[in-house]
Amino acid sequence: MATIDLSLTPVRQANELLRKYGADGVDVEVLNPDARHHIGVGLTHPINVHVKGSAGYFCAGLTDGPRFIVDNNVGWGLGDNMLGGSIIVNGNASAIPGVAIRGAEIVVKGNIGSRAGQVMKAGTLLACGNANFMAGYMMYGGRLIILGQSGEKVGQDMTGGNIYVAGKLAEMGTDAMLTDLPAAELDDIRAFLDKYQIAFKGTFQKIVNAGKKLRYARNEPRRRAIPFFESFADNAYWNAKVQEDIHIKSQIGRYRIRGYGAARAMPHISDLAFRKDISIGAGSDPDVICKVHMKTEIGGRSGANPLKLSMPVMIAPMSYGALSKSAKLALAIASRLSGTSENTGEGGMSKEQRAEANQIIYQCLAGRLGWNIHDMRQANGLEIYISQGAKPGLGGQLMAKKVTPEIARIRGIPAGIDLRSPSRHPDVLGADDLVIKVEEFREATGYRIPVSVKLGAGRVRDDIKIAWKDGFDFVELDGMQGSTGAAGNEVLEFVGIPTLSAIQEARDALTEVGGLDMPIVLMGGIKDGIDTVKALALGAHAVAMGTSAIIAGGCIACLQCHVGTCVTGIATQDPEHEKRYNIPAEAQNIHHFLESVRWQIAAVTHALGYSDPHEVSRDDLVALTPEAAAITRLPYAPEYRERQPDLRKAS
Amino acid sequence: MCGIAGILYKGAAPDARVGRALIDMLDGCQHRGPDSTGFSLYREARPGHLRLRFIVGSGADAEVAIERVKAKLAEFQARIVEEEHLGSSYAALIKFDGDLQRLAFEMEHAAKLSSIGESLDIIKDLGGAHDVDKVYKIDKFRGSHGIGHVRLATESDVAPEATHPFWATGFADISIVHNGQITNYYKMRRRLEKQGYFFNTDNDSELIAVYLADKLKHGHTLKDALKTSIEDLDGTFSFLVSTKDEIGYAKDRLAAKPMVKYEDDDIIAIASEEVSLNRLFPGHALNTTEPAPGTFDTWQLSTSA
Repeated sequence: MATIDLSLTPVRQANELLRKYGADGVDVEVLNPDARHHIGVGLTHPINVHVKGSAGYFCAGLTDGPRFIVDNNVGWGLGDNMLGGSIIVNGNASAIPGVAIRGAEIVVKGNIGSRAGQVMKAGTLLACGNANFMAGYMMYGGRLIILGQSGEKVGQDMTGGNIYVAGKLAEMGTDAMLTDLPAAELDDIRAFLDKYQIAFKGTFQKIVNAGKKLRYARNEPRRRAIPFFESFADNAYWNAKVQEDIHIKSQIGRYRIRGYGAARAMPHISDLAFRKDISIGAGSDPDVICKVHMKTEIGGRSGANPLKLSMPVMIAPMSYGALSKSAKLALAIASRLSGTSENTGEGGMSKEQRAEANQIIYQCLAGRLGWNIHDMRQANGLEIYISQGAKPGLGGQLMAKKVTPEIARIRGIPAGIDLRSPSRHPDVLGADDLVIKVEEFREATGYRIPVSVKLGAGRVRDDIKIAWKDGFDFVELDGMQGSTGAAGNEVLEFVGIPTLSAIQEARDALTEVGGLDMPIVLMGGIKDGIDTVKALALGAHAVAMGTSAIIAGGCIACLQCHVGTCVTGIATQDPEHEKRYNIPAEAQNIHHFLESVRWQIAAVTHALGYSDPHEVSRDDLVALTPEAAAITRLPYAPEYRERQPDLRKAS
Repeated sequence: MCGIAGILYKGAAPDARVGRALIDMLDGCQHRGPDSTGFSLYREARPGHLRLRFIVGSGADAEVAIERVKAKLAEFQARIVEEEHLGSSYAALIKFDGDLQRLAFEMEHAAKLSSIGESLDIIKDLGGAHDVDKVYKIDKFRGSHGIGHVRLATESDVAPEATHPFWATGFADISIVHNGQITNYYKMRRRLEKQGYFFNTDNDSELIAVYLADKLKHGHTLKDALKTSIEDLDGTFSFLVSTKDEIGYAKDRLAAKPMVKYEDDDIIAIASEEVSLNRLFPGHALNTTEPAPGTFDTWQLSTSA
């Protein structure tokens, strides 16, 4: 038995030691914990850890296999995302114990705080005392056993799993209901109690999901799709798309879901022009790529290993779930061929995707779908999703047709539901909690992997300052032209602010706080190398492309991504449709497109007289419209419309 | 977005190391708010006297602000007995027996008022607990109780005046610290402004102080005011309030912001996180509880009960 004294050893060092003892199979006693945060985070060996006192936030978080005993209380997020192993807490647990667990056994001898077992997927959480507000909130599976009182709104919006309450049952949450308790389940609970030597002979009331909110009542009728680029072609007020919307709403009686992003006209990067006339210079030099330095490192500002990009371009986050495995593989291969990075999006990391991508960013969303310590360690970057440009303030959406048994297994959720992912992280209800969350990720990965945040553009000025204060290694900033696999049409069109406004506000905010050392990856309607150079000139360090990458890989922009029967095999989980997708060919197409982006970046940079696109600045830009000028404070130069008519039309 | 802490020593002798305890507790949760730190301390009351503290900034601006304060005090025939100009603040002990609310209203318009009280002294500035201690010598302060705050600015400015604690305008010796977000801020603010209340900042926490002041003005007890605050304020919040002889808390119904409490025969201590409470008893596991959602309570000094 080894000993670690936290009055002498900082937690960061203690966790390194714990992992070392874990690898050697040595049990550990932790002395003087004094409610410090992150004790035991990231431990993936089946050793015994005895915490002799109280632990703080995320005790035993992001672990797989260890057996913890805590003598006294624990703070928020006990056993966060624990995959296997056990925890016994002899005192009370604060809010969200057992959050997002996927198989662990957690026993709290005292009371548990609010939202216990939020988004848990499997395993058992037992409270010997009382539970608190919203126990079992949004749980997807596993069981929550409460020997005392249930607390208000027990089972609120649970999707799966079982809650057993022995004590007084308070008002139940929405979409939860009582059901009979089969004798076999009672025997299982008794066996569990015996295993942990808890003397309790009473019986339980069983709460399950009532099934009223898992599916939309009526699906949208199928019509001939009006493609994205024709949606608002001539008339932004009354047009064929508006007509179609009204027809369909008259049948389903609710908002419509569709794929892609905002289609209506709004100020964008294409409303800017380069001050210098580059129409002659650009494109004349066949060796221009060799003459421009495009390598871009991102994420090293706090000492983590940065992502190393061959040019300031990434693949934007898109999930396996929204997209087929084949499409994700093509993106992964193309990202490798072009020396850039792929991003998992919401649905977890597949083995094949990891193998094909050279560098991959692993996204953590509020539902913690597919999130786990092992894949975190395999990632080259971590990303906390707060929101996205297509639907700021909302979680992901995946319609039932795409929630196949395979997708459900990876995400840890029941198959065949209209999945509406939570919009709020269980353990991030403010900037203060977020600091502690970021630290947990760093502890779990030994501070080696950059941690970034994805922000949908809304209140960028405030949000970006918070991101900087919370010490993120970089920010993925997503304007409202960003696309998605499924969202309400009104949200797509009318919530958020344009990408152009987002980068300007972000730049201003970082200048205000002296935070320009934190890089911004701009996304949301970045379609080519020209947009990329302009984004860099406005203050982005790199861009990410989603829509243009999938169009390069065969997408026909029919807006029906959510339906699940994508004819190109991109936005589907149906093997019949997916088999149409030619992975090697599409990977080559995406790769070719990315190389054209590289060439454009080089040609424009060179023609402007620079050797690195990061040298291009605001001084090289003018605004073609009064709106773009007002947003960016760039000089309004309508005469440039004549010089570069193609740029305006392209928007 | 913040961390909060408060402590009350129940015994009669007002010479407990309140300053030290608050520094330790706030340092323990400084990760929740590195921008600025503030303390509400209760000094010895002198009959017929008031303590005023202003945020005046530095350099020439400070001199101008101090002159304005002095001129205004002269108008009220208030005599300055003691004064100090430390860090970004100017404090004065004045002899005054006129109408406090009228004085408060005028002083708020003369300079950025931090606090007024017979005993209350709100000291707040940029930086961490130790930074503020270095300038204002909080460590040496002895008393019976106090509250404190560490702040991470999210929507309003990083400035000393936007730092907590906030004084309950017009009511001597009452202050609050808050962790959370009041979502019906503008609605409530407009309502209170119509009644003549003045807001120094755009910080939603200031609203809580003014709200409590208004309730007290209308004859409610502090406990009643805390009770109605849970109904009237929307959002996620955990806040602490202190008066000359008591401290209290209120916690929203959504239970989204943390609060942990420790009580024994000698003290009651409340903080955002147990790690702050544990700083008071290193090496000892504490028997703590979490206040339930939608609850409130107050504790009084035993001498004044």
